Amino acid sequence: MYRRQHGRLALISEPQRIYSPETAPERATLDGALDFQRETLAWKCSGLSGEQLRERSVPPSHLSLAGLLRHMTEVERGWFARTLVGEDRKPLYYTQERPDDDFDGVDSQDPLESYRLWREECAESRRLAASCESLDQIVARRRNPADPAPSLRWVMIHMIEEYARHNGHADLLRERLDGATGE
Amino acid sequence: MSSITIKESVRTEAPFDVAERPMLESWLDYHRETLAWKCSGLTADQLKERSVAPSRLSLLGLLRHMTKVEWFWFGRILSGADPPALYVSRDGHEPDFEDLDDSPPKDVYSLWETATAEARRFAAAVDSLDQRAQKNPWMEPPSLRWIMLHMIEEYARHNGHADFLRECIDGSTGD
Repeated sequence: MYRRQHGRLALISEPQRIYSPETAPERATLDGALDFQRETLAWKCSGLSGEQLRERSVPPSHLSLAGLLRHMTEVERGWFARTLVGEDRKPLYYTQERPDDDFDGVDSQDPLESYRLWREECAESRRLAASCESLDQIVARRRNPADPAPSLRWVMIHMIEEYARHNGHADLLRERLDGATGE
Repeated sequence: MSSITIKESVRTEAPFDVAERPMLESWLDYHRETLAWKCSGLTADQLKERSVAPSRLSLLGLLRHMTKVEWFWFGRILSGADPPALYVSRDGHEPDFEDLDDSPPKDVYSLWETATAEARRFAAAVDSLDQRAQKNPWMEPPSLRWIMLHMIEEYARHNGHADFLRECIDGSTGD
């Protein structure tokens, strides 16, 4: 996965982004849009050194690109594994005592490892979503059985807008690091 | 300078278990309101500030940009309408984020509100999410479904920019 790019060691190589199909039914459109957003985050992280990936380049914000990879790993796990199908998979990076360690603990992990674990979690999320027959399916886990709970449709759109929002952060983090821009 | 009166927006998260169309509409409105919220309570100078240099983005620029994006997708592409000429470039550069002194923030906000109202009207006139747009921007004419989802992504992405712009202006955060 390591390769030379622009004269420095690039941890993450440039991914292939594919736009969501323009005239597909609901489910294929949502699947395509979510994957496009995932690949956009990978693209924003590509070609940088470990040090750059960990840099909090828009202070006073404590966000960094590696922090975003770690955060989205938790978001994938929280929504698809724990909530949608009810698996008992604990958070990787944060605890009750240190709820922001997905962002704040970036110095304790090689960003390449953060990236690898994020990719694995995305693959697992795709598998779990595909195991649901309908977008109307209500998630398995709810805090209180009497409360309303989201459908898979809600989870998918939420994940798309969650990634897109953080990719907006990634845009500005990246521009500050090396001037690179682009949608 | 007194702060401009962009109202404190009332944001409602999309309901959990509604059908496809009201779900998309709710999420899009949520992100429209999020942009208004990120702009609320600031002075005109703060709204124009390019607070994450070297980026040319500003909150006022984002409002101007999204006004044109609303007209582009719902007016021109979906409905084949001719949008009003807004924020026209004087010398070939990207006008949405430049020339910020040309229009007072109150007018920018008002034009954005008009654009969102018109966009809702254009969308409501289309029977089905499967219906194809009237025009083809650079690909197959997309369905209304694709346009709605694209608009959610477009707003959310720019609201990520708005988060950082706002935090660098006055330290306020929140999603």
